[in-house]
Amino acid sequence: MTSGKLSLPKPEPLLRVSALSVDYDAVGGNMVHAVRQLDLEIAGGESVGVLGESGSGKSSLALAIIRLLPKNACVVSGRIDYRGRSLAEFSPAELRAMCGAEVSLISQEPALALNPVLSLGRQLADVLLAHRKFTRQEVKARCNEMLCQVGFDDPGRVMRAYPHELSGGQRQRVAIAQALICRPKLLIADEPFSALDAATQAEILELLQRLKRDLGLAMLFITHNAGTVAALADNIVIMREGEAIARGTMETLQASGDEYVQGILFPEKSLANATHKEQPLVSGAPLLQVQGLSKKFVQKRMLSRKQFVVQSLEGIDLELAAGSTVAVLGRSGSGKSTLARCLAGFEAPDLGEILLDGNPVTEKKRDPRWQTKVQMIFQDAATSLNPRFTARQVVAEPLEIARWKSEAERMARAMKLMEEVGLDPEWAARLAGEFSGGQRQRLSLARALAADPKLLIMDEALSGLDMPLQAQMVRLLMELQARHGLTYLYISHDLNFISLFAREVVVMNAGRIVERTTPEKLAESMHPATRELVEASERLHAPGMEAAV
Amino acid sequence: MIRYLARRAAHGLLMLFGVSILLFLLFQAAPGDFLSDARVNSQISAETLAQLRVQYGLDQPLPVRYWQWLKSSAKGEFGYSFAYNTPASTLLWPRARNTLLLSVPALLISWLIAVPLGVFAAGWKGRWADRLFSSGTSALLALPDVLIALLALLIALKTGIFPVGGMTSINAQDQGTWAWLRDLGWHMVLPVGAIVIGSLAIILRHVRASIIELMDSSYMRAAEGHGLPRFKLLFGYALPAAANPLISLFGLSVALLLSVSLLIEVVMSWPGIGPLLLEAIMARDLFVVIGAVMLSTVFLVAGNLLGDVLLYAFDPRIRRQA
Repeated sequence: MTSGKLSLPKPEPLLRVSALSVDYDAVGGNMVHAVRQLDLEIAGGESVGVLGESGSGKSSLALAIIRLLPKNACVVSGRIDYRGRSLAEFSPAELRAMCGAEVSLISQEPALALNPVLSLGRQLADVLLAHRKFTRQEVKARCNEMLCQVGFDDPGRVMRAYPHELSGGQRQRVAIAQALICRPKLLIADEPFSALDAATQAEILELLQRLKRDLGLAMLFITHNAGTVAALADNIVIMREGEAIARGTMETLQASGDEYVQGILFPEKSLANATHKEQPLVSGAPLLQVQGLSKKFVQKRMLSRKQFVVQSLEGIDLELAAGSTVAVLGRSGSGKSTLARCLAGFEAPDLGEILLDGNPVTEKKRDPRWQTKVQMIFQDAATSLNPRFTARQVVAEPLEIARWKSEAERMARAMKLMEEVGLDPEWAARLAGEFSGGQRQRLSLARALAADPKLLIMDEALSGLDMPLQAQMVRLLMELQARHGLTYLYISHDLNFISLFAREVVVMNAGRIVERTTPEKLAESMHPATRELVEASERLHAPGMEAAV
Repeated sequence: MIRYLARRAAHGLLMLFGVSILLFLLFQAAPGDFLSDARVNSQISAETLAQLRVQYGLDQPLPVRYWQWLKSSAKGEFGYSFAYNTPASTLLWPRARNTLLLSVPALLISWLIAVPLGVFAAGWKGRWADRLFSSGTSALLALPDVLIALLALLIALKTGIFPVGGMTSINAQDQGTWAWLRDLGWHMVLPVGAIVIGSLAIILRHVRASIIELMDSSYMRAAEGHGLPRFKLLFGYALPAAANPLISLFGLSVALLLSVSLLIEVVMSWPGIGPLLLEAIMARDLFVVIGAVMLSTVFLVAGNLLGDVLLYAFDPRIRRQA
């Protein structure tokens, strides 16, 4: 891919970032150097992948290019040239004209990138109209065409729909359509996959590959996942703590001897060496039994009596032995989260029975014992923890609710729990909002453990973390399980680490359990829903990654 | 939709019942009744007083009185005014109309001013225009409503352009419908203006705060990143998304407006519910007070119901849950 470029004299690149440094004004007057002396070049039609752990400054780079850095951040040095002209010289009007039309951005969270109260057609058309004048018919035709291009068969329906009526993957596709409708030269994609399930990720990846080929799109692709970057990027830059520590093609990087580069390209390698595969001994008695669980949701529209019944769970039977780990797999919308919410007592099932330790739990909301025995960890620690609580308050709150012993003893236990999940007890007075993503997830784990639960439900608890962090968390979870005899229900859309971690795998599709198997036999499964997940996960991982497991 | 509204209306009705019971209890707890003044009058004999008590039904126990009030309300009379010797409704209806004549235009005008101004202030957050605006609203908030009404009266007196209080001129009715309407409108200017000024600041601040909060959300940043013009960002994207809390505030602002308007009516002698309520409270004219407070509650419930309808229309997510 790069060989053709070497023979020609180098043309002016589309985008050149030279010696860029971005600083953040953090809480308490500290300066955080998010990006340090970074150089980057993107030629027309070329795609560059930026790979790094969370907190390595990747997103700040993207935001600096379109000058959308938050208020507490500033570019302290360096320059960014677009087609040979410094962005600093652009007037606000010129910048606005460039954003969306020449350079556009796909942001991290598709669910949040679309205005919840406006129809998607309008949001798509507005981007087009912001940059050029069109008649009504032209706008409609272009929107339709764009939506078809991103893989919708029924653009008319999508245009009328609101964001909450689409799935995460569909929303991400609309966001991509928004970014591409003005035919930009450069697309900046900031972790466009992190919130999507594996099957959708693979679809979007394919879409981006096709669009790159068909439209001659240059791309700056920012991610923590080595697999996606390998599939999409011509050149790769690896960032660490704001600095580019390695660059080159996938092949050259894979051959590099640098330990950090290897760690980020093959995160499972490090885990495989560190963990032992034996499972803790399992006592025969089932901890949790679920029989015939069903739950449905009803949707309505304005001025219409029609109701859309969304069957979320149908006839779920599940059994969890004490001390075991069961993984529930399925793409988004398959009912996994509803199952988790029913088990944790957030939703009352329409039908069916849930037995904990052999006791039926019908009025679970009123039974505090249930609440302490079953704890849940959510996908997004950033929103599930009150950012204004200190770490100690976060961990001690469940104890307070349970009126557990005295204040001093609660605090001591909170400190001990923090230590147990690998957080420095010295940080107990820090606010939850000041921890990084991985540390926050540890904090939610400590909080969940505070009540001394038997069953821990993890709803995509690792999906928001990057690979090295996921590996660390899996290791921690396994240690804790061995020490406390915990039972895990691990809910996920991707197959990362499942084989190391889970003992039994349950695959869900459209509200039903379609297959029960073990992680070892997962790859041989013939069921279409399982195959889809397995294949998607294979496509996403870097070549050679499977060998590492 | 119908069921959603029916449920909301049922809630409102229940609330009205609750308020009426509370009012009866409060009145029972308050010392004295309509005849207290007569009792100190040495010219009225004890027999006459006792007779009057029976006549007004004040000798009955509370539940009986409540039941009788309910029966009379069902007939549309809402009890009986001791002071005027008529059914309370004949006093209340024209007054309610006059109050609505002030508060409905005031409500519309305050919102029509507050929304665009609040959005602009949010858009220019931190600049001098916004700072000027913020200090302006602070000053308005600090200003007591009575003072605003008195200032309005002062303006009327000093300039002579506007009538000083009242609702119509003495001879207005004789000069034909158009002249009467013009006269009425002219009388409305100052009281409506005073109510708007009294309630504007709170609404403005809410609009500004909700828009500012939204501008930081990821979808607003995404829309900004797509190069949407600033005006469209503020009014086309932020405002509809902020509509949800603002519409809830709309329902509540009816209550705010009513409380401001009652006071201003009294000061500017507008024949609305305000002066009637004041007079009735002074005279302990039980059913008129209850009727007037109930009417305010009806306005409040109606305002909230309107807010619910607007929410249903504006927010696709509510349509889904309802």
